[in-house]
Amino acid sequence: MKYLICIFLFVYSIPEVFSQTPLEFTFDKDFISLQRKSNTSKDIKVYRGGLSEDKLSNAIPVLGKIIENETTLRFIPIVSFGWDQEYTVVYNNVVDYFKINLPDRYEHLSVEAVYPSASKLPSNLLKWYLEFSKPINQTRIYEHILFTNAHGDTLDKAILSLENALVTDNGRLLTVWIDPGRQKRDLMPNKQLGPVFEEGSKYSLIVQKKLKDREGVLMLNDFSHQFEIIKADRLQPNINVWEIEIPHPNTLSDLIIHCKESMDYGSVLGSVAIQNTRKQKIKGSWQLKDHESILIFTPTHPWDKGKCQLVINTQLEDLAGNNLNRLFDSDINDVSFMHSSIKERILEFVIE
Amino acid sequence: MKTLITFLIALILSFTVSAVNDDSSLKANFTTGDPGVTSINSMTFGPEGILFIGDSKSAQIIAIDVSKDPKVDNSKVKIDHLDKLIADMLGTTIDQVQITDMAVNPENKNIYISVHHGSGTPVLLRVENNNLKQIGLASISHSKTTIKDPINKEVKDKWDRELRKWAVADMKYTSGKVLLSGLSNKEFASTFRSLDFPFTEKQNYGSLEIYHAAHGKYETHAPIKTFIPTKIKGKSHIVAAYTCTPLVVFPMDDIKPGQNNKGRTVAELGSGNSPLDIIEVKSGETRYLLIANTNRPLMRMDFSHLETFEKSLTQPVTIKGATEGVAYVNMPFVNVQQLDAYGEDGFLMIQRESSGNLTLKHGSSWWIQK
Repeated sequence: MKYLICIFLFVYSIPEVFSQTPLEFTFDKDFISLQRKSNTSKDIKVYRGGLSEDKLSNAIPVLGKIIENETTLRFIPIVSFGWDQEYTVVYNNVVDYFKINLPDRYEHLSVEAVYPSASKLPSNLLKWYLEFSKPINQTRIYEHILFTNAHGDTLDKAILSLENALVTDNGRLLTVWIDPGRQKRDLMPNKQLGPVFEEGSKYSLIVQKKLKDREGVLMLNDFSHQFEIIKADRLQPNINVWEIEIPHPNTLSDLIIHCKESMDYGSVLGSVAIQNTRKQKIKGSWQLKDHESILIFTPTHPWDKGKCQLVINTQLEDLAGNNLNRLFDSDINDVSFMHSSIKERILEFVIE
Repeated sequence: MKTLITFLIALILSFTVSAVNDDSSLKANFTTGDPGVTSINSMTFGPEGILFIGDSKSAQIIAIDVSKDPKVDNSKVKIDHLDKLIADMLGTTIDQVQITDMAVNPENKNIYISVHHGSGTPVLLRVENNNLKQIGLASISHSKTTIKDPINKEVKDKWDRELRKWAVADMKYTSGKVLLSGLSNKEFASTFRSLDFPFTEKQNYGSLEIYHAAHGKYETHAPIKTFIPTKIKGKSHIVAAYTCTPLVVFPMDDIKPGQNNKGRTVAELGSGNSPLDIIEVKSGETRYLLIANTNRPLMRMDFSHLETFEKSLTQPVTIKGATEGVAYVNMPFVNVQQLDAYGEDGFLMIQRESSGNLTLKHGSSWWIQK
């Protein structure tokens, strides 16, 4: 009810309308409520825009439902009324208007984090993750994300075009695929258009301020993130070179895993787990540090003495989409790159 | 008297038949209530007016019964400024509206359009007299099932899967199965799923990792963008269009759940392009595939050419913009965003015309006549 206002915001020259008793109404983002007139229609019509009476006959009303009680009629639209969007309301042949102004202190959408966060990235980089401050508007979202080169030119056909945005349940983390057809050698887009990024060049990832939050409100500014491209990563992640800093027993100290290379943000958080020798999962939380090259596990309960296992799903990927079982673009004729079908790998360590 | 008895028996039988139709085996598990639709990414019709909804947000497939929706004459449907109309109905601006799919009920030719509002609210609309009516989903006869995560199923509760999303790209019904293709936000994998319908408690889940080796020597793992189950030389096949734009055929009999199934690439549709929808239409005895694309016009491919093309493309097309394989014709319809069959011999599309007008209209059958 923060935005509850009971005023008539707009005056149009409609003599017939204003010869009648003006409407008494209150409104919010989710409803408009009118004082009910006795022996009159229960039908409220709401239209997008401030429409003059002569345009109402051809206008399409907003979808919604009407809830009635003895004194009021309440119209609830199927989607909330928009900020700064003007509406026309018609009841009992009286036309009136309302608009919900965007609050001055509205917290605008912003980009809070970008993954991979390293400033130097392999030329066959496959995915980006953008973490926003609040749930994003998914409508044609990929049209508002682009890459520019050092001259400021936009890279053409760099992003995989998806009709359905890949956004996590909280609505804040967006996955952006670099066109895999261009990043993978010998595919037709790669042959004809070349890889998206060139080794030795600098680029910017731009999130245009046209990108909106779920309330339909724009960001205040474009977001820009600079990075440099280095040589392609054509090696699978090697867990045998990982180093584990083992915590002491009876403490809540962190288990720290040095991966020696940046891992894919979205992949890594769901691909590692700690279990005891009875295969029971040890509860705790994970963090990524040092440009996603260090995994930190903080247990919920103090560590017990004894053997533990770091279980790694073989779908764990590096920045180029190489996982523990295969390279992203392995040569299918090369038997040395035969894919493994192992589901998980294990690194054992002892708390003592 | 005999006539009266015959009439009464016929009357009783007609009620019996009617009752059976209302509670057919396909709808036996349907209940009326709110199916909890949180997104509509893809739609397709099964038999008996069952509309399947692919809901990526809640990782579920919902079958709703729209067989009782009033039949309307859509033979001359034409709705201009469709995006403005929908924006007006939602009380929002055009840039807040995304049309996610369109499906035509093959039994009565009712047209359904799914829309997402920028807030994430899904809306299902039905065309009626060149206008749109909302289909209420709060209380509807339905059945639904979860799209299970194969990894979650195998290693229950071990991994933290909260970041995993799998978006339904396309969905089709054939012979008691709902087939799905899609893309995960984590792995670039050509995942193809098959669910039994009617849905059962014990879901017969199949995950098919399909790959094709058409592009030189590297596997693509590309996901299927759109596909259609069909008959090639009388046998059941899937014709699939990939994000990297090859058109690939898979014999249904050869597809084994849980295995990598190698398809036969029959055409390249041009780089820098992504297929959007694929349908089958007929003109007399001649069958055609129609393919809508992001950066190419609507394509028409004669089935007889597809059936006689027995090779598999194994070399990449190196000439920019060139195409290869089964011949097709570019039809004079660009920017076709949604496409579905309208009866056996017609097609319906949502097209952004060169004037900027987004229109729902029929494609002229002249274009698919010999």
